[in-house]
Amino acid sequence: MDSYTRLLEIVAQTEDKKISDDAVSRLILHLKSRGRMKMLSKIARELKKVAIRRQSMLPVIEVANGNDKLKALSEAHAEGFSTDTVRINTKLIRGWRARKGGTLVDRSAKRALIDIYTQAL
Amino acid sequence: MKSIIERIEEEISTWAPKEGAEEVGSVRATGDGIAEIDGLTNAVMSEMVLFDATFDRPLEEALKDTDPLYGLVLNLEEDGVRAVVLGDASRVYEGMLVRRIGRLLSIPVGEALIGRVVNPLGEPVDGKGPIATTENRAIEHEAYGVIDRAPVNEPLHTGIKAIDAMIPIGRGQRELIIGDRGTGKTTVAIDTILNQKSEPESSRPICIYVAIGQKESKTAKLVAELTEKGAMEYSIIVTAPASAPAAMLFLAPFAGASIGEYFMEQGRDALVVYDDLSKQAVAYRQMSLLLRRPPGREAYPGDIFYLHSRLLERAAKLSKEKGGGSLTALPIIETQENDVSAYIPTNVISITDGQIFLEADLFNKGQRPAINVGISVSRVGSSAQTKAMKGVSGKIKLELAQFRELEAFMQFSSDLDADTKKQIDAGRRMTEVLKQKNGEPLAFEMESAVIFAAINGYFNDVEPEEASLAEEKLRNYLSREGVDVLSCIQKTKSIDEEIENKLRKVLDAFHLVAP
Repeated sequence: MDSYTRLLEIVAQTEDKKISDDAVSRLILHLKSRGRMKMLSKIARELKKVAIRRQSMLPVIEVANGNDKLKALSEAHAEGFSTDTVRINTKLIRGWRARKGGTLVDRSAKRALIDIYTQAL
Repeated sequence: MKSIIERIEEEISTWAPKEGAEEVGSVRATGDGIAEIDGLTNAVMSEMVLFDATFDRPLEEALKDTDPLYGLVLNLEEDGVRAVVLGDASRVYEGMLVRRIGRLLSIPVGEALIGRVVNPLGEPVDGKGPIATTENRAIEHEAYGVIDRAPVNEPLHTGIKAIDAMIPIGRGQRELIIGDRGTGKTTVAIDTILNQKSEPESSRPICIYVAIGQKESKTAKLVAELTEKGAMEYSIIVTAPASAPAAMLFLAPFAGASIGEYFMEQGRDALVVYDDLSKQAVAYRQMSLLLRRPPGREAYPGDIFYLHSRLLERAAKLSKEKGGGSLTALPIIETQENDVSAYIPTNVISITDGQIFLEADLFNKGQRPAINVGISVSRVGSSAQTKAMKGVSGKIKLELAQFRELEAFMQFSSDLDADTKKQIDAGRRMTEVLKQKNGEPLAFEMESAVIFAAINGYFNDVEPEEASLAEEKLRNYLSREGVDVLSCIQKTKSIDEEIENKLRKVLDAFHLVAP
């Protein structure tokens, strides 16, 4: 199943609808011929997970306060984050943080406060 | 409270956001103490990662769960890593942020650890508060090479007559203690630790006992015994109890080795007991299967030999240029039905410099320690034996070997000639003399004197079954009347002609008062 999912994942990267439709039809034929149609729902579920994972890898900028949007954007761009979408995250305290794939830049005060708290304890 | 508020206000007034980016990942799936993590593509093997439960929670909630939870990266994969959770795995959830902390798994080491009980991460578990150490040391560490080592040439006395005489252990050696459950493996190791109290402080090794997968009650009992006998003054206990995650059981011996290496590098001697490596192997097998590594013989992973060889190779006697310290290892292996040809026992036998084989049959016959001297061996220890012990021990091996030959024959023949009977009696007497109660290790000068008496026929007048009692009487007599001669043996570490004459005089006098 992993191999089928991986294959479709690669096909999806081409972003050509005709190619991906063709790949899906061929996969269905292949599964039918092997009597493994039950796997189709599992493959779909796996692909959804992959899509969610991909989504989480996209660049995202979060600010604690809406007024800081512009400042956060310019600072995040300077750090190499190429996105214009900024989300307000009420769980943050002062400043902003941005994440892209496996990179995190945290310019908020929340983590510093937690560090102080644990050190003081 | 006021000081905390002041401290926080001070920090806030001077606060500036941290510069730079950090590498993070997120948990894709978790289960059985293993976390599959997306990202962290630059992570390296054995690197520590931090599972951050505070990242996506409001501050007031985050402050309730600030205990750090670490993981150890063990599989590097195409789009992520797999890590074992070093703690409560139920705190890890899907999507949780994982941070690289940029250091290999390491533990605090230093003098402050002496007398303490710690877990494999070096955290105190004895309720005596934090441990003030200043240094950290990686748990995985490459063993010293040939150039840095010196030959094993100093004895490490166990205080057990049979071992010190026939299977001597040297400082820097790796001697395996192997046997079925309940045959006294731990007792041999503990007696060795207790015996170090009789060593002068300058040469007394720091003893590290690593309890792997044992009942906490057993460890507590052991700590109480060491404390009562004053042995905690030079001992450290590393415990990964049976209830701990498999990762902790896997790490415990490496933590013990790291602590021992610290002392060795200070030019001191250290002794580390791994009790036992069979349980560590089982824990490693569990982890490897969960990490989806291919199973091999008995479902152990392919690198199970390397797991033990890289650990035991860290035992060493360093050269003078490197400070001359040593790390002696006493690994313990539990066998099933005396089967030393199983996978893990054969592996560890081939790695170590000898083995002390304990047998259930001998144990049940009342021979304690239940050492089978026929198949026990020390490959390097004899060159470290003191002259005193070397002089008296050679004859025992011969006498016992002859006795073993005749013992089998004895069962089939009721009529034995006088010479054969004499040899059998001598062997039985020697076996009785070598018996020893647990928790009563002997100083090496006392061992030498007793064995000298045995091989020179001072017990020949007693029935073989009473030789053990006579030996105890002799020890009492020697500690009263033979203090001078014992101190001479201790000082010179040999029995020269002059000391031999003195010793014979004391033994003759004992012979007269206690026939």
